Amino acid sequence: MAGAAQTAAVSGMRLALELILFPGFAFCALAGMVLSWLDRKVTARVQWRVGPPLLQPVYDLVKLLGKETIVPRDAFVFLAAPLIGLAGVTLVGLLVGQATLRPDLQTWGDLIAVAYLLTMLPLGTIIGAAASRNPLASLGASREMKLVLAYELPFILALAVAVIKADYALSLGEILKVQWRDGIAASSLSGTLALLIAVLVTQAKLGLVPFDMAEAETEIMGGTTIEYSGAPLAVIKLTKMMLLFVMPALVATLFLGGLRLDAGAYGVGMGALKVLALAVVATLIRNTNPRVRIDQALRFFWGPVAVLGFVAVVCATLGY
Amino acid sequence: MSMPLTGFADRFKTRALAWEEKRARRLYVEIRPSDLLETANYLYKDCGCRFVIATATDIVTAITVLYHFAHDASGVMVNIRVTLDRDKPAVESLTQLFVGAEWIEREMWELLGITFIHHPGLKHLLLPDDWPNGVHPLRQDFRQDELPPPCPGRGAEENR
Amino acid sequence: MGITLNALTRSLSVFHLAASPCNNCDIEILDCLTPKYDLERFGIQLIGSIRHADALLVTGSVNRKAAERLKLLYEQAPKPCVVIAIGGCACSGIMFRDNYNFAGPVDRLVPVDIYIPGCPPKPEAMIAGVAKLIAKVRGEKA
Repeated sequence: MAGAAQTAAVSGMRLALELILFPGFAFCALAGMVLSWLDRKVTARVQWRVGPPLLQPVYDLVKLLGKETIVPRDAFVFLAAPLIGLAGVTLVGLLVGQATLRPDLQTWGDLIAVAYLLTMLPLGTIIGAAASRNPLASLGASREMKLVLAYELPFILALAVAVIKADYALSLGEILKVQWRDGIAASSLSGTLALLIAVLVTQAKLGLVPFDMAEAETEIMGGTTIEYSGAPLAVIKLTKMMLLFVMPALVATLFLGGLRLDAGAYGVGMGALKVLALAVVATLIRNTNPRVRIDQALRFFWGPVAVLGFVAVVCATLGY
Repeated sequence: MSMPLTGFADRFKTRALAWEEKRARRLYVEIRPSDLLETANYLYKDCGCRFVIATATDIVTAITVLYHFAHDASGVMVNIRVTLDRDKPAVESLTQLFVGAEWIEREMWELLGITFIHHPGLKHLLLPDDWPNGVHPLRQDFRQDELPPPCPGRGAEENR
Repeated sequence: MGITLNALTRSLSVFHLAASPCNNCDIEILDCLTPKYDLERFGIQLIGSIRHADALLVTGSVNRKAAERLKLLYEQAPKPCVVIAIGGCACSGIMFRDNYNFAGPVDRLVPVDIYIPGCPPKPEAMIAGVAKLIAKVRGEKA
């Protein structure tokens, strides 16, 4: 009894440490800040500018902690909403990290958990925007709702392809192991199509141009985040930075073989390169496209992208 | 005068009070205020001119309004002048022909006091809504010291 | 000086408030963000919502309608927030000072931290002004 309780306590502590430090909150936050700096630097270089220094995301967040927080009348929901998103993204980072660290652990269904947890961020955004009591925020919230409706379908289809290619395994660790054994998912036709869909869905999930209509700066003055200031705004910004790391990490795990620890330094380097490449691809798409309207985004995701997704699923089932 | 507007010259030259072809593509026509709607309608619908803007001035003896129409195909600008009585300046509103005249007529009303008959709603455009009635800043007899002061400043105490 | 205030000088989110300008100063402000001057390398970015603002860039000789809105926007900006008056009109009203619709200049309505005169001020002048402001906030010699 005492032995079992002790093991439970130790594993509980390990879980807590992993959640807070590595590969959970602290690691995702740090990686997210670096990638967000990279995003701004690449954007600046594409525009023939110089761009901000490396510590810029740190300055942005620390500055926000020193600003006063102005809240609408019923402040509880308004203040709690950003934390929902932060929790969701942190947990996804933790799950992807745990699958990378211990792929042999039988964690059935954590892909399903990831899919659900990733919807916590738009949920938090919408709730917070609705609690803002601002007409432009509700406009942003309605656009965010429609965008989520749009991209969830192709996203699930892409996940389905990853699952099928891994012999119908619903565990991230299993998907990784199958890819290490048989070759990365993207080496097959269905895998490539699914990777393409995943890249487009990542762009929408991250709220980057061309799908940033929910938080369109010049059009609806910040949309869903219009009323946020101070520490809650810092939480929102941090969550977005973390997602910039977590989404590419997830896509790399599902379609590019992730980070292979047992290949030593080479594996770690290749894994990091995959995440970096996906982040840079998102930035380049951001820099070369205009913002689209929400109805155009809906038609895009439910039209060509969903069709591509169905084709990919069929190909995957047939073995291509 | 350029080809498309010869129709305009044929119909309105005799009725105009003054007709000046100042340059190759600048025509200044003075008409009676009662002829304004018909003239503007002909220019807009039949000649295909675009209404650019309207300008008004208080020349001490009267108030004149200049309507500027552009014939984009040939580059001709037709400027229609109407002279209004200084005490009760009133003229037909061009919003009956095209919506685009609405705001400029509001501006002419609030700054010079010209009444536009059949205008959908003459309310303030540039000046605040609590501007005193009957005070029109661009008139020659406007007296600035009769105005209420603007919104209060931050006063002696610091705001931070 | 506090760590957050130091971070504020390295990451200024500016809100562009055009209080009835002729728009020349606004064009010059946007010039500062173009590749030739690139203010983003100092951490300065344009933001859309007043609640995200660290600096109010006020241009224009404030007219009666804009005066109420200027005061309202200043109240809505979370403190600490600096106010930068850009252009001769915002600094003193220059030739519009005796106009019937003049309700400014900006420092009559909100406290101003830095004045950047010019009609319009060149981007170099604006950058010099921002550098002086940052030095002032940090307590250094300009």
